[in-house]
Amino acid sequence: MKPMVKRLMLVMGTLAPLSTFAQQQAPGWMVDGMYGSGKINTVILVVAAVLVGLAVWMFTLDRRLNKLQKRN
Amino acid sequence: MGEIAHLLRLEWWLDRRQKHAWGSMALYVVSTVYVCYQGVRHIADRPVWNALFWIILLFAAFNALGRSFQREDAGRQLYLHTLASPRNVIMARTLYNALTMAVLSLLSIAAYALFIGSNALEEAAVGPFLSTIVLGGISFAMVLTLIAALAARAGNGIGLMAVLGLPLILPLLLTLVRAGKLALDGLGWNVIGQYLGWLCAIDVLVLALAWLLFPYLWRD
Amino acid sequence: MKGWWWKLGSVALLLYVVIIGLRTPLKPALVHVSIDRIAPGEVSFEVTGYNTHFDQGPLRAELENDGQTVCAQRVEVLDAAHVRVAVNIPPGLRTPLTTLRILSRTDGPLVLHEAFYTEGLGTGITVETCGEFFDAENSMAGHSSKEGLRFPHRSILNETVRNLFFHVPMWFAMMVLMSVSFVRSLMVLRNGRLSDDRTALSAVNVSLLFATLGLITGSLWARVTWGAWWTSDAKLNGAAVTVLIYAAYLVLRGSVPDPHKRARLAAVYNIFAYALMLVFIMVLPRLTDSLHPGNGGNPAFSQYDLDDSLRTVFYPAVLGWIGLSLWVLNLTDRTAKLEASRHEAHG
Repeated sequence: MKPMVKRLMLVMGTLAPLSTFAQQQAPGWMVDGMYGSGKINTVILVVAAVLVGLAVWMFTLDRRLNKLQKRN
Repeated sequence: MGEIAHLLRLEWWLDRRQKHAWGSMALYVVSTVYVCYQGVRHIADRPVWNALFWIILLFAAFNALGRSFQREDAGRQLYLHTLASPRNVIMARTLYNALTMAVLSLLSIAAYALFIGSNALEEAAVGPFLSTIVLGGISFAMVLTLIAALAARAGNGIGLMAVLGLPLILPLLLTLVRAGKLALDGLGWNVIGQYLGWLCAIDVLVLALAWLLFPYLWRD
Repeated sequence: MKGWWWKLGSVALLLYVVIIGLRTPLKPALVHVSIDRIAPGEVSFEVTGYNTHFDQGPLRAELENDGQTVCAQRVEVLDAAHVRVAVNIPPGLRTPLTTLRILSRTDGPLVLHEAFYTEGLGTGITVETCGEFFDAENSMAGHSSKEGLRFPHRSILNETVRNLFFHVPMWFAMMVLMSVSFVRSLMVLRNGRLSDDRTALSAVNVSLLFATLGLITGSLWARVTWGAWWTSDAKLNGAAVTVLIYAAYLVLRGSVPDPHKRARLAAVYNIFAYALMLVFIMVLPRLTDSLHPGNGGNPAFSQYDLDDSLRTVFYPAVLGWIGLSLWVLNLTDRTAKLEASRHEAHG
């Protein structure tokens, strides 16, 4: 269970700085204006999805632990 | 206070009985320096000279302090336990180790300068440099005495002491290397004094922590 | 679910951080000029902007050197992010570094500090007045509020400033967890309860997880902005030492079989190492900084100089990440507790 947490957080943490790459499609950095705004929405959706997924999983884990603790 | 002085005398007496302890410390330093000499012969570049010296001193400290809690066997340790308060024991042992390291660091720099060359010392502010070395040795002793006690209690001796001690020594080492290099460059007491002041403050903190924590190690 | 409000609240804060932190655009800025030295005489160069609208509205370009201004003869707009500027440089400018300024009605004053290395220095020039560009009617004072939230544009960092909301709070979360571990270790020495020891261990494990994430995000950030995965810098050294200390803590625990003795020894090391770590992280870097002022002028490191716009996302990020880490600790600790009680029940 713990390795799963680690893995998910790893994915999430690694995706975050990738937002920078959304702006770097053009050769030579930082050349054009609002170029990246279209792609950035995809990045946001992905990161938000991972975050929500992680939260839901932790929530269910929390409930399962509650049940186990009550049983004891 | 009196008990600490008494315990210090005990440490001294123990070491005199086992003179080979001093011999082994001195031999370790000289051997290491000689091995480095065979490897590099002569270093004129100041930063490298400085860094290599501190590494040698670091390992000499680990070697010298590693056996600090393993010199008495279990029977004598129990005897000591009943006689003296644990706080006094750790104070005495730390102070004794600090003194040992102070002497050892001077010996090390002498051997080092003899073999690896003293060109680096040409422009050095000698007073601040030697003070940095002595205070560095003392700081190593302070931190590593408690760690040695911890490792001895865990039953694993020198190996565990190195693992536990190295992360704590690392920041000290970086600071000492920098201070040493500045002293070699000729900066005087006004700059080096700041480093030395902070090192003294850290030593006092470490002593206080050891004083507070050692009783929990001592009881079994 | 107990404590659901702060647990789900942390997730909500992090969602806010992800959406607003990644969507908010950067302020317009100048990022590149095509030459790097100027000499007295006719000079022409191309300027590249970011998030600029050079094609809307009039522009004026000026060079500034030690308070004295030289106006550009001609500013030719190539597209929204490129202009070509022609300037006649008089001899006798005072300092070797000249700043470029482009004034725009839509983007406001854009400055590229110390853009040019200057030749033909002297004792000063006769200053020309380029005329008022921003008068009372077209003043740019309310510019940013009209446009909405924007993050400052920092050289070297550019868009990666957004990593601020992920990387830095992870270290804060790690520090919080290590403090939890420290407090629990104190309680172990005072009460001798194994449950405190178990929580201290869980806290160290989760804090190492966040330290790893912090190191990975920091490493990626360093690679993108400076081209190196790691450098020798006070903060990075401090981070490495911290991870080594707590890894050593785990090694110590592994080498003592008896639970009560292990709890005691581990607690002593935790307290000793935590106190020293605080000193090393806070005091020693300041020592070397004060004697060697300036860390190479890289804005990514020493002062963050937090802009207010960054703060609106940064503070929630800190709270959100700390909250999330505490939730992970909560789950880890309860799992360990159940495992321990099941272990006892089954002998």
